[in-house]
Amino acid sequence: MPRTTASAQAAKPPVSGPAPDTGGRRLPRTLHPVAWWIWALALATAVSRTNNPLLLFLVLAVLGYVITMRRTEAPWARGFKYYLYLALTVVTIRVTFRAVFATGITPRDHFLFSLPHIPTPDWYAGIQLGGPVSLEALLSAATDGLRLACMLCCIGAANTLANPKRALRVLPGALYELGVAVTVSLSVAPQLVQSVQRVHRAKRLRAGRSKGLRALRGIIVPVLEDALERSLRLAAAMDSRGYGRAGTATRRSRRLTGALMLLGMCGLCAGAYGLLDATAPKLLGLPAMGAGAVLCFAGLRLGGRRITRTSYRPDPWRFAEWAVAGCGVLSAVLLFANVGFNAAELNPSIYPLSWPTLPLVPAAAILLAGTAGFLAPPPAAPTRAALPPQRTEEPK
Amino acid sequence: MSGNRFVRAVARTAAALGLTVAAFAATAAPAGAAPQPMGQCTTTSGVVLAVDFSHWGGPVYRSCGTTPTTGYELLNQGGWATTGTGHDGPAFICRIGYSGYQGGKQYPTPQQDDCVLTPPASAYWSYWHANPGQNTWEYSQLGAMLYKPKPGSVDLWIFGGTNVEGTEGKPTVTPGQLRANNTQPTGGPAPKDTRTAAPLPPNVNTGPRPENPPPTGPPMTTTPSSPTAPQNPSASASPSESASPTPSAPPPSSSGPAVAAPGPQVVEAAPAADAKHDAGSYLPAVATGALVLLIGAAAVYAAKRRRRTE
Repeated sequence: MPRTTASAQAAKPPVSGPAPDTGGRRLPRTLHPVAWWIWALALATAVSRTNNPLLLFLVLAVLGYVITMRRTEAPWARGFKYYLYLALTVVTIRVTFRAVFATGITPRDHFLFSLPHIPTPDWYAGIQLGGPVSLEALLSAATDGLRLACMLCCIGAANTLANPKRALRVLPGALYELGVAVTVSLSVAPQLVQSVQRVHRAKRLRAGRSKGLRALRGIIVPVLEDALERSLRLAAAMDSRGYGRAGTATRRSRRLTGALMLLGMCGLCAGAYGLLDATAPKLLGLPAMGAGAVLCFAGLRLGGRRITRTSYRPDPWRFAEWAVAGCGVLSAVLLFANVGFNAAELNPSIYPLSWPTLPLVPAAAILLAGTAGFLAPPPAAPTRAALPPQRTEEPK
Repeated sequence: MSGNRFVRAVARTAAALGLTVAAFAATAAPAGAAPQPMGQCTTTSGVVLAVDFSHWGGPVYRSCGTTPTTGYELLNQGGWATTGTGHDGPAFICRIGYSGYQGGKQYPTPQQDDCVLTPPASAYWSYWHANPGQNTWEYSQLGAMLYKPKPGSVDLWIFGGTNVEGTEGKPTVTPGQLRANNTQPTGGPAPKDTRTAAPLPPNVNTGPRPENPPPTGPPMTTTPSSPTAPQNPSASASPSESASPTPSAPPPSSSGPAVAAPGPQVVEAAPAADAKHDAGSYLPAVATGALVLLIGAAAVYAAKRRRRTE
């Protein structure tokens, strides 16, 4: 990040994008991808705090609004509906499992239907299959699934709004060692979306079946193959441009970097475990986390120091980037601050059934995250409708 | 043809629904687990349920239920109520409340545990059994919905932490302090002779013995030395916590051992009506729906305008 801001200051005059609009509107340009990622991850963090279906639906609405306002015409930017399908699948699986692996019904519950009960022997009494299913059980499973679905959609929004290839450029230098792995992992989801679209279109052009189970089989295999191949191709292309290059580093310094990173990661893992498990010794919590973070930072600095690179067409980090990232982070902070609302309202009770309330501060925080929809500059419109959109938006 | 099939499908669905409802009614009704006044529990019938609220400064409540029952039903009748977790459903007991204690407020409170995920092993309701005649606690190997207590046994819920070795979080009360010691049901309209209580084991902390009998109010504070004190089930509708704190000063004439620690007070929780539940208002849901629609409309409008300008 510091590198980016420095380069942004150095490269003020050249502004990528078309000429300014008349009429006092802002210059269309693409926002820094890291700003979108910070915004989306902060919103996902905020979502993890609540189980309130009203707030979750509000988050989905806000995501939909920001995406319609600020997505580009790039192929990956048209894939949000696939993340929505995935979210729906998550909710469905959660509800089905709750119905099949019955968690019991109480006399106070609203009985819905009954599945055939498969008796289990006494020594295996921990799991019940089938049996009566209550409205409360399904609703609690649905809200639980909805929370995970919302977090998935937040990641999907980041993938949709941010250019995945430009996001790779801000990786810390030390991670270049892992060039191929990082490239594949960061770009595989957007590539998958693109591949689905391409294969689907090809099938349609050949007048093949585009619906039904058999068509699905015809799509899945080429899609998986295509997505992985394209990710590998991208990784190879980045390799040839010097990504993952050991450069002038000596063997010793490379080993030192690796050791520092490994130790730091171990520290972070142990710290996370210590913080989450209340019975773990105190030393395993924050101290381990802090030590791990320091080690990781040292490793990154050490690894990054010996890699010098210049950047062509740097992504600027200006007011809009600060505003978008800031409103996301602020909404997460508001939800975790527990100020101005009752924490119980974030997790309304299903047993006994009652209407969820809409706590004002969290709702306002989520709407605040939605201001990214107009705080971000409008995306650059495709220059010519005649040109295929993939061509115009290809980065680098 | 298709109409015929539709009719058949509907008939089948209706039959299945009827069957399942019947099955449910059949399984739910005859279990007949019911709350009982404490005097109805004897050494061989009924199950004593005890819940320790001492973590929040409350007493140990005990009540009685009829036997073909589960630990869960016992804990959800006669004014008792529980809350599960969002992750595990109602079978995992996350909160317990009794309508006679703090107006039915369930503990731990939402501020202490949000009951979304499974509570940590350092602060949860642990479940203990003592079979008839046994004076040691046994950590439950089954969940509340699956465990079927034996007649004459004691079920205890205490809040705190346990460890795998079993050295931490053991109950401080003994089963003998909570068990029904009478061989015949007592109480009811005409309390009979209640002096049939079996002698207590010698090392039982009998707690303070009230010097002067408590005022004849609805709630009865019983000390373990006289667990079958005459009681008045009709007045049990409004047991309140007000009567529980009888002075727990060191008793001058305690028959128990000298280690009469100020242990938790044992209070009888007579069957009571469920705590009132407010389903809340549907207006926030409607308002959120309107807000979501508004945002959606704004998005659609923006998308249309953008397409026009391109």
